[in-house]
Amino acid sequence: MASHNYKAITEALLFTAGDAGLSNDQIANALNISQLEAEQLMSEMQENYQMDESKGIEIAIYAEKYQFVTKKDLSDYIKLLADSPSPSTLTQAGLETLAIIAYKQPVTRVQIEEVRGVKTDGPVHTLIARGLIKEVGRNEGAGRAILYGTTEEFLDYLGLKDLSELPPLPEDVEEDEKEDSDLFFESLKNGLSANE
Amino acid sequence: MEYTVKVDAFEGPLDLLLHLIQGLEIDIYDIPMAEISEQYTLYIKAMSVLELNTASEYLVMAATLMSIKSRMLLPKQEEQWEEDQQFEEDPREELVEKLIEYRKYKKAATELKDKEQERSMHFTKPPEDLSSYAQPDVSDEKMQIELADLIGAFNKLMRRKKIKKPMSTRITRQEISIETRMTEILETIRADARPKPFSALFPVAEKPHMVVSFLAVLELVKRQEIHINQDHNFSEIMVGSTEGVSLVGQS
Repeated sequence: MASHNYKAITEALLFTAGDAGLSNDQIANALNISQLEAEQLMSEMQENYQMDESKGIEIAIYAEKYQFVTKKDLSDYIKLLADSPSPSTLTQAGLETLAIIAYKQPVTRVQIEEVRGVKTDGPVHTLIARGLIKEVGRNEGAGRAILYGTTEEFLDYLGLKDLSELPPLPEDVEEDEKEDSDLFFESLKNGLSANE
Repeated sequence: MEYTVKVDAFEGPLDLLLHLIQGLEIDIYDIPMAEISEQYTLYIKAMSVLELNTASEYLVMAATLMSIKSRMLLPKQEEQWEEDQQFEEDPREELVEKLIEYRKYKKAATELKDKEQERSMHFTKPPEDLSSYAQPDVSDEKMQIELADLIGAFNKLMRRKKIKKPMSTRITRQEISIETRMTEILETIRADARPKPFSALFPVAEKPHMVVSFLAVLELVKRQEIHINQDHNFSEIMVGSTEGVSLVGQS
């Protein structure tokens, strides 16, 4: 069967491409089939890998590229291979800054700082260094401030196919989670007010 | 060095205010300014006692709170609007808007964190290096090699040999001279008539040795004792002896 063959080829291609991933276009070209046929083939393959519990990998679409990834629920086994199992995740400041850029892009640093109420040079710098945001242009008018936007790397980092997959910006939210800093500051505060 | 406690509890004055509002179970649309100002000041004091980095933004916010508080003590201004509606100008309005806006993105940040977490549980691998299969350049002319190509090749080599920067730096004396390496390299190349791959001239995977070797190669090229060729794009750079091959360099 020709389609069986296609799957073998695609599997080899995806394996070779690794985290660079392959676009639907590239797959269609490599197999010499139409875009639509490639799409169908890929969604079929995605399902095959997903459903088959004897498979440790699956096909993800990050930044509109297909790539092989290990299955989520196997991560504990993989982490056993590493000495330091926790990957370097972003700090709260980094996440807040990234969220503002993701939802408001293109956005200047001053605009980010207006929302957060603090200086944001550090987080912006870190996000650039990690390739999650980039300069996407300059603001019109005086100062020509740098405008920031997210990158493809950002989509991959959060496991998103494209920007439309960003969770909708929460409208008004009632805070419910208690912060764990409470007890720590509580005792200090009490101590201070007792002294007064 | 100052002793600093790294507490990522608050990401700025707005974050601290939200924390207070939530802790005191205050309605964000009706903030009791006296209470919040007092609490806020207490936290700032606590932070300075701990020598946390009380950035100027926190102090600006403290001043803002005081100013709002004092304005609220003033008799209320009532403005007459068309359609006979009465609006009270609330000095807290701007602050509330800011807080709500900030809270929105703070929440969004936690959602991104979940995404980040989830994505980090999927592992991938870097792509295979397929450069050796890349289509050679159609032109059959001998490629000119420039210094940049050599440096590029050198860098690739360094990476391939996985030379890591030492954790601590120590000063070592130069163990081999460029002259010595030049002689060695010439010997290697003249061992038989066939050109040797560029990488063969770097047998020792130590940074100083590789740098000296590279400088030696450059010097030999300059003196036209060796010649360097690359047949086509991505093919191995080959180094051969000029002895007996070329018309130059025979003394």
